Amino acid sequence: MNNKIITPLEASNKVKKSIAKRRAKDNRLKLYGRVAISLAVCFLLILFYSIFSKGYSGFFQYYVTLDINFDRERIDPKGDLSDNSLFDGEASKIVNESLFSIIQPQGRKAKKQAKKIVSSGKDVRIAKMVKNDPSLFGTTTKVKFALDDDIDSFLRGYIKRETPESERRISNKIIEYIDKLNEEGRISYEFSDYILSGSASGNPEMAGIKGAFIGSMLTLSVCLLIAFPLGVATAIYLEEVAKKNKITEFIEVNINNLAAVPSVVFGIMGLAIFISIFGMPRSIPLVGGMVLALMTLPTIIISSRAAIRAVPPSVRDAAYGIGASKLQVIFHHVIPLAMPGMLTGTIIGMAQALGETAPLLMIGMVAFIVDVPNSIVDPGTVLPVQIFMWADFAERMFIQKTSAAIIVLLGFLISMNALAVYLRKKLERRW
Amino acid sequence: MNNRNDLKSLELTVGDVFSKNARLKARNVNVFYGNNKAIDNVTIDIGSKEVISFIGPSGCGKSTFLRCFNRMNDTIDSCVVQGEITIDDENIYDKKIDVVPLRARIGMVFQKPNPFPKSIYDNVAYGPRIHGLSENKEHLDVIVEESLKRAGLWQEVSDRLQSPGTGLSGGQQQRLCIARAIAVSPEVILMDEPCSALDPIATAKIEDLIHELGNDYSIVIVTHSMQQAARVSKRTAYFHLGKLIEVGKTKEIFTRPQHHQTEAYISGKIG
Ligand SMILES: Nc1ncnc2c1ncn2[C@@H]1O[C@H](COP(=O)(O)OP(=O)(O)OP(=O)(O)O)[C@@H](O)[C@H]1O
Ligand SMILES: [Mg+2]
Repeated sequence: MNNKIITPLEASNKVKKSIAKRRAKDNRLKLYGRVAISLAVCFLLILFYSIFSKGYSGFFQYYVTLDINFDRERIDPKGDLSDNSLFDGEASKIVNESLFSIIQPQGRKAKKQAKKIVSSGKDVRIAKMVKNDPSLFGTTTKVKFALDDDIDSFLRGYIKRETPESERRISNKIIEYIDKLNEEGRISYEFSDYILSGSASGNPEMAGIKGAFIGSMLTLSVCLLIAFPLGVATAIYLEEVAKKNKITEFIEVNINNLAAVPSVVFGIMGLAIFISIFGMPRSIPLVGGMVLALMTLPTIIISSRAAIRAVPPSVRDAAYGIGASKLQVIFHHVIPLAMPGMLTGTIIGMAQALGETAPLLMIGMVAFIVDVPNSIVDPGTVLPVQIFMWADFAERMFIQKTSAAIIVLLGFLISMNALAVYLRKKLERRW
Repeated sequence: MNNRNDLKSLELTVGDVFSKNARLKARNVNVFYGNNKAIDNVTIDIGSKEVISFIGPSGCGKSTFLRCFNRMNDTIDSCVVQGEITIDDENIYDKKIDVVPLRARIGMVFQKPNPFPKSIYDNVAYGPRIHGLSENKEHLDVIVEESLKRAGLWQEVSDRLQSPGTGLSGGQQQRLCIARAIAVSPEVILMDEPCSALDPIATAKIEDLIHELGNDYSIVIVTHSMQQAARVSKRTAYFHLGKLIEVGKTKEIFTRPQHHQTEAYISGKIG
């Protein structure tokens, strides 16, 4: 035996020889790592740059300032500021008159065209203003109105003056009017008050993401309230309570499989179960949240189980040793220690759910819904679906709105991830 | 039960396994990990207010046997315990027995210090809290202080009870674990190599503590140090390959071992 063991001198020589090789290997690995990380960072920066540089203009739009004579008789004929009375009033007409006084359109046809310069939401805007501040009545005030989306696109340069009139979406006349308004300094480019507070709309200049944003919040809340307790309870049961046997093994394999199922399948399942069998309405955040909960459950279960398994056995031994019952060990020791990991998994699952479109299309959350949902049983849509819909519309202005919505969605996602990091830091015990 | 002729294991074990005022009695205990027999037909008594050492080479089953007394082996799925273990003539492996009060009666200190990731105070207060031993906050404070004092840790930590228990040194952590174990006033304390990770000073402190606790409790201590066994215990049991080879007065085991395996181990030929 002894003659096979090398002498210390030989050993140290051999080690010396191998060391250069090992160093080179280490350095190469380090280099690969650095290259990979810088590539990833580069792509991320390019992605963010292109999204933000192109998308931020979606938060702005062109407005025209008009002098509005707030004549109570005409705006609020019944004089009670009710929706009915305001609807019967002539707000649109007043706006048009003010506009016409500046651009002086001649003839019926020209007037008809000129009317379209200001977005059709003008009467709603006036109604809102007088409702908020009835003292406006009797005054003449400067009011900003959104311009029609085609005009907006023209001002942004997407519709070109040089294009022959027959191929342009706006006529020479209109261009003339716009020039006139511009000369008088009445056109301004400002932060859009529709994008954040408006809802879905066929008029791109009035479309906003409020409805979709609230819909996303409601849907995610439902998803969280279902998936988190269920997922954590399942993980605890499988890790701490269930005996390891064929059945639990089978369940485990299937949970892992579920995590890999395409999300659209969950949508079909939701359609078949919640809507067809239980007869729940379509398009509501409740059903959307339930479908997304099914989808995120495997993620939460898997990460929670990993977190539970990472709880040191010595802590368990200590607790059992002093006479804690199973339930006490779980609630006093295992859950608090596993909580950061469980939460991280949950937020990752939620972030996935936030970006999900396909399963929600299946349950009809793609319907065109103008009203902002007030509860989880009001029809609504969600951000990614809204983006998907807008990206599909023909009007040029929806492209900017789509970019703006994407930025909002990204912001939502980033803040959720930041929350995950914060919670992790906060809950993680460093002792 | 004490009919010596019934007990096959007596053929194997040298010395007197029985004790006059026995508190814990193990009879023909076998322990299996799956198909692996870790403890083979062990019979032994542990007297009340007695300190007994378990010694033997690594892997001989000392920890396994120790963990039978408070049914900690239940937490290992593959582990099966056969035979009978009684405390005050009550079979602890009876189906009717609830392990929670049992473990409150039979405390345990582990080889590796394992304080909870909580404050020093909460570590000690945990047992009294879950078992509802204190009437109010003041009483709990008294229990915590008293336990820490008995564990010889009070002076070092009295001004930082709210700091984390895991922030203490290894020896302090082990004494904290002892304080935690005695805070529920157990009748028996099982110690699995409590000093294996400690320096001589911390070890001495813990040995002093065992001496003192031995006046009130039954203590079973597993140790690899024969000096320690000699210092702290009156009785010693020598295990080998899952069998209890010899039991007797510590002095006699170390000076005049009866069995050749014990002698080999004592003189450093095994282990
Ligand atoms: N959880 C377990 N699963 C399977 N086998 C185990 C387990 N724990 C211990 N064993 C086996 O049981 C036998 C006895 O182990 P035990 O830990 O009781 O020895 P020990 O005398 O305490 O040793 P040491 O002095 O090294 O702590 C060993 O052969 C060991 O491999
Ligand atoms: Mg051991």
